[in-house]
Amino acid sequence: ELAVGNTVRRVLHIIKEEDISFTAVGIEGLSVTAVSDDECDSGNDDRPTLSAAVLASHARNALRAPSLQTLLDDIPVSTALSHSSSSAGDSDGKTGDKSLKTRKLKHDVIAAIGDLIEEIDTCYDQISEQAVEHIHQNEVILTLGRSRTVKEFLYAAKEKKRSFRVFVAEGAPRYQGHALAKELVEKGIQTTVITDSAVFAMISRVNMVIVGVHAIMANGGVIAPVGMNMVALAAQRHAVPFVVVAGSHKLCPLYPHNPEVLLNELKSPSDLLDFGEFSNCMNFSTQDGTPLLNVANPTFDYVPPKLVSLFITDT
Amino acid sequence: QVGLQYLSGEVSGGNGRCIAMLLAFREAIKDYSTPPNKTLSRDLTAKVSSYVSFFIECRPLSISMGNAIRFLKNRIAKLPITLSESEAKASLQSDIDRFINEKIVVADQVIVSHAITKVRDDDVLLTYGSSSVVEMILEHAHELGRKFRVIVVDSRPKLEGQGLLRRLVAKGINCTYTHINAVSYIMHEVTRVFLGASSILSNGTVYSRVGTASVAMVAHAFGIPVLVCCEAYKFHERVQLDSICANELGDPDVISKIPGRADLGDLKNWADNENLQLLNLTYDATPSDYVSMIITDYGMLPPTSVPVIVREYRKEQLWV
Repeated sequence: ELAVGNTVRRVLHIIKEEDISFTAVGIEGLSVTAVSDDECDSGNDDRPTLSAAVLASHARNALRAPSLQTLLDDIPVSTALSHSSSSAGDSDGKTGDKSLKTRKLKHDVIAAIGDLIEEIDTCYDQISEQAVEHIHQNEVILTLGRSRTVKEFLYAAKEKKRSFRVFVAEGAPRYQGHALAKELVEKGIQTTVITDSAVFAMISRVNMVIVGVHAIMANGGVIAPVGMNMVALAAQRHAVPFVVVAGSHKLCPLYPHNPEVLLNELKSPSDLLDFGEFSNCMNFSTQDGTPLLNVANPTFDYVPPKLVSLFITDT
Repeated sequence: QVGLQYLSGEVSGGNGRCIAMLLAFREAIKDYSTPPNKTLSRDLTAKVSSYVSFFIECRPLSISMGNAIRFLKNRIAKLPITLSESEAKASLQSDIDRFINEKIVVADQVIVSHAITKVRDDDVLLTYGSSSVVEMILEHAHELGRKFRVIVVDSRPKLEGQGLLRRLVAKGINCTYTHINAVSYIMHEVTRVFLGASSILSNGTVYSRVGTASVAMVAHAFGIPVLVCCEAYKFHERVQLDSICANELGDPDVISKIPGRADLGDLKNWADNENLQLLNLTYDATPSDYVSMIITDYGMLPPTSVPVIVREYRKEQLWV
């Protein structure tokens, strides 16, 4: 699941960020103590070198991407400093310092993750605010399947008293278009349900295609519910803008090399064919043993970037 | 009676409907007797027109049927007055038989023989819906021993592909079945696309089952040749730019009901709600630039030669 991967990456990034800001504070604190040490033991050569070593190791740690294990599992960073016996006292102080540090780090990270969750939840509002600029009076909009982002988008436009009609393509085999149509109608939006095969026929009468997607790839391509490529090609042929609405948590840093195969899931054939009806076709009696009947039921479609006119996100 | 069959959807497919209609006309002519004080030709024409309007009420005519009716009326009008009634009826019946034979049955065989040359070993052929001509091509190629795979693409609400799938698998052809949304996914494996047509219009636009245009478009985007197989009597001199100008509306309730999935009953009371409509188109128009070649009983032509055939065909019809 790509969006989940993105979120995990963001969380890791947050943890690293928090830690870096923490160690930066720590380094400043340490340099203050080093200076005070210098002042205390003016004649002692060990101290300055020790504090320099401490400073250097801390700086090294901060520059190296700290592994999560060291941060969260409370393994003392100061094992690097154990070569100096006089630093024993220092390291004790540092371990105590360290556990306090990790607890504060965890607290900060949890707070930041809470912010991230809130950001994902409220992305719909920010996207919907932009709805008014794009939907004008008496427009005809086409969408496929059911996306919560698109739904909120259309609700917002309706709130602002724009009059428009919506064509909803079913989105076999899950038929989520039906549920979306029901929700839209409850809000008083004029809706027409069409079959997916009729998309090409209807698109000449449509002003705009607005869809929600599963993920957006680094090259601008889009992973969308199956059937979207067909809609995008038809939209390009008739010069109808193809608008993608998605929260920024769906942006992936991955490139799609072979998107049809690699990023797809094949679902059960029972969505398409009844097992009982076709069981007599599933005989394996051919010579090479391959079954005569295969059923392909992909979940996602890849839409290349040149077919997409516009992305609307919450940033 | 045949009209009722159309309504129930038992007889479907351009060729099937046309043949059934012509056979019904033949029966009607056999049972027909001229009322006194009327000429055979005029009265029979009027009778035929009334039959036709009955058919139209059951289900709008397909273009192939329209052409056949025009042919029939033409023949009736051309009957010499000197013929006796029984002779006239016999000649009309033989004309109808000849039409069916030449324009449909033999034409199909010629198309199949042309198209077989285009099916090679290790081909992966894609077809949409259920077309009688394409089915014949596939069966014939399989009998000739060519090794190929077939991908049957289907769509709601008719789900005609399932019938085709069953028949092909029964013949032992290796098949894959998907729904129309998955064409982009499956198209990278395909080598050729075979489509049937209800009619071909004068500017090369292919008028056929809804969804054909989408399949042709995706095939074109992937650079795969699209071959349309159509008998010549289905050509028409009308021109249509898109699918909405002239189309047939099917039953909208079929969209709301999904067989086998009782849990998705969201649109059960769609008629109660004035904001909600269901649209069920039957046909759509595929632009000619998506079609690589049209295979007819006159040979294999590019879509731009269709007006030529229309012209020739009209002339020939007068002499048939």
